[in-house]
Amino acid sequence: MADERIPQSVPEPPRGPRKPARDALVVVFLSVLVLVLFEGSSVRQAGDDLQPGVERDVVRAVGKPAGWVADRLPFDEWGDDALAFLEDEGSGASGGFGDARRADAAAVPAVSPDSFDPAELGAKAERPRKLDKLLVTGDSLSMPLDVELARRMADSDDGVEVERDPHVGTGISKTGLVDWGKLSTEHVSEREPDATVVFIGANEGFSMPGADGKDLECCGPDWAAEFAYRVRSMMNTYRQGGDARVYWLTLPLPRDGDLQEVARSVNAAIRVAAQPYRAQVRVLDMTSLFTPSGYRDAMEIDGRREIVRDPDGIHLNDEGARLAADVVLRAVHRDFGQ
Amino acid sequence: MVFPSFEFAFFFPVVLALSWALMPHPRLWKPFVLAASYLFYSAASPRYCILLAAITLANQLGAVLVHRARGDRSRKWITAATVTVDLGALGVFKYYGFFVDEWGRFLDSLGLGMPLPLLTLALPIGLSFITFQAISYVVDVKRGLLPPASTLDFALYLSFFPHVVAGPIVRAREFIPQLSKPRDPRDVAVGAAVVLIALGLIKKVAVADYLAREVVDPVFGVPEAFGAPDVALAAYAYAAQIYCDFSGYTDIAIGVALLMGFVFPQNFNSPYRATSFRDFWRRWHMTLSRFLRDFLYIPLGGNRGGKWKTARNLMLTMVLGGLWHGAAWGFILWGALHGAGLVIERGLRGRLDAPAWLRWAIVFNLVVFGWVLFRAENLDVAASFFAQLAQPGEATLWTPVTVAAVVLVIGFQLLPPAPLERLRLRVAGLPSYALGFGLAAVVAVVGATVPSQGVPPFIYFQF
Repeated sequence: MADERIPQSVPEPPRGPRKPARDALVVVFLSVLVLVLFEGSSVRQAGDDLQPGVERDVVRAVGKPAGWVADRLPFDEWGDDALAFLEDEGSGASGGFGDARRADAAAVPAVSPDSFDPAELGAKAERPRKLDKLLVTGDSLSMPLDVELARRMADSDDGVEVERDPHVGTGISKTGLVDWGKLSTEHVSEREPDATVVFIGANEGFSMPGADGKDLECCGPDWAAEFAYRVRSMMNTYRQGGDARVYWLTLPLPRDGDLQEVARSVNAAIRVAAQPYRAQVRVLDMTSLFTPSGYRDAMEIDGRREIVRDPDGIHLNDEGARLAADVVLRAVHRDFGQ
Repeated sequence: MVFPSFEFAFFFPVVLALSWALMPHPRLWKPFVLAASYLFYSAASPRYCILLAAITLANQLGAVLVHRARGDRSRKWITAATVTVDLGALGVFKYYGFFVDEWGRFLDSLGLGMPLPLLTLALPIGLSFITFQAISYVVDVKRGLLPPASTLDFALYLSFFPHVVAGPIVRAREFIPQLSKPRDPRDVAVGAAVVLIALGLIKKVAVADYLAREVVDPVFGVPEAFGAPDVALAAYAYAAQIYCDFSGYTDIAIGVALLMGFVFPQNFNSPYRATSFRDFWRRWHMTLSRFLRDFLYIPLGGNRGGKWKTARNLMLTMVLGGLWHGAAWGFILWGALHGAGLVIERGLRGRLDAPAWLRWAIVFNLVVFGWVLFRAENLDVAASFFAQLAQPGEATLWTPVTVAAVVLVIGFQLLPPAPLERLRLRVAGLPSYALGFGLAAVVAVVGATVPSQGVPPFIYFQF
């Protein structure tokens, strides 16, 4: 089509010197080169933490050689040292998933009284300490549940302080962004919650090194066993030797078929992980609440159909979070009487 | 794919290099940049590309038919049909859920349970920006301001990756002429682009995300848990956050486009120094303001029908402008607040002679507290937020860093622009190697402030 009649309404470029396009390339490539030299290992880690797909392949393709180069040069370390004061989370905390290794697999694991939920035995449950602080944490699944719980607690006048600490995009099977083993230790040492609500699992399915160092691919029994080990470590940290209570939500099934496979393994692992600590750890079943016979967007609530999931088919929306909060608060009330 | 990410850091240099290499050959350059733009857009979801392509084809067909139509009447009808398709797409993806919900509640209140089918539809990223740009193209063709572009040029205009997800809203007649001949490789505003990209990164990652994490999100999540000092700080912090977030995105988008040889219109001009609502809308999201003016306010009659019709047109424009941001009562009320501000201001023009500082203080604070309606999840949360402003309490969130961030963001906009412009020009004039190292240093420092959660999406991605 002819362009002669087009009126000149192209915006004015900003004032300032003009350079050749070659200089634009020099600037961009130089800044990427410096970034790779100083942050090569971060690029590699970021690639490992992305969900499978083209983007991940690209970042890994650059990240692996960049990490290899950065590992052999001192720039990465210099950069980290120089900018350490800006980092807001202690990366040196102990308790990471890599720190401890399982006990001899051949030994028969001991069974302790903590493995029993007193209610099932008809015994009187030991009353925990007073609930002053409730921590709500997890990945993006813990939002907006965290806000819902905080609001309901604020309305109840029980004086319970709700601390929210969601870590979007993180997962238990990927430790690049956050090592949940370390983070749970930090949570307990720095915040000392009387009870912790954990809702995590939107970013799982990544391969993890097993006890022998070999990568375990999702989602068979080996992967589930490693995942359960990690979850159990966290549960043990949060229960604080039996003084505190843990409310761990299983995953409502996502819409996507591949993600459903991951969710099933995660849920099975959570149940297995909680077995030794059933006196203090409550596994709250979101699967049968939201997806009793497969994925659904909406469900009947008080005689009216309401959408309970976000359009992504993974997360709960506000209405769903309200239902999940009901389940959590019932369990908290049973334990603490508050 | 967001700008502050490793994915973009590897995507962009490759695209930039190939773009300049192919620039002298438009037959290669255009399909290449179109493919790169679709790749960029598909990072959110490949399915969204189908919708983008469908909107492109529908509007191109509309524009060609409008251009060929003989009479005014048929041109009008074809334009109306094309705009209806655009608004239909927007309506289905953006407003269907809200409408069904409100309609269901209304029927419930009458005791009639006949809800419409519930659907969960993901809003494709940038759909509002894409449809507005498509509308601007068809309407400008109808008005005779622009002949229809080739399908390839129009597809490139709609999908061009620097602006596809969150603007600025570039008019077709601002962009398509830039495609008519290859960009001049000897005339690239490299320095200005680097300054914009660096500033955008600092605004978004170091300031906006920090304020969101430390002040805004906790308080807007549960206002009841905070006293008046913290709630007041959160209101000002959100004003600073949304400015830094959106103008930071725009700065990066304009800078990236400049490096590729393209010029986008300015979108922000120190909005918090406005001394009237009219002035504010000439400084805030300027490309949306002029879109609403040219495609809504003036077609409604503008100020041509007397005092009351002008007031009606202003209110309608601003309420619909609010609704453009999302299907929620908070956005509608926010738009109505600004509409009322514009109407009252117009009514008082020439009758009151308040000093500039007083006008600034009134407008600034109304804008800041108007943002509460915009940010709050729903009207109950907004009501709690305002109620807590009367509740005494401790200033638990007032740290030197949070207060300094808010004061600096607002304070910088009140400074005389000339010295800042001189500083910008000096930095932009640095040699290329210094600009490269400088940009890398900014990326490294800003990157170190990113928490474990990573960089949250830009606020305007949801619109």
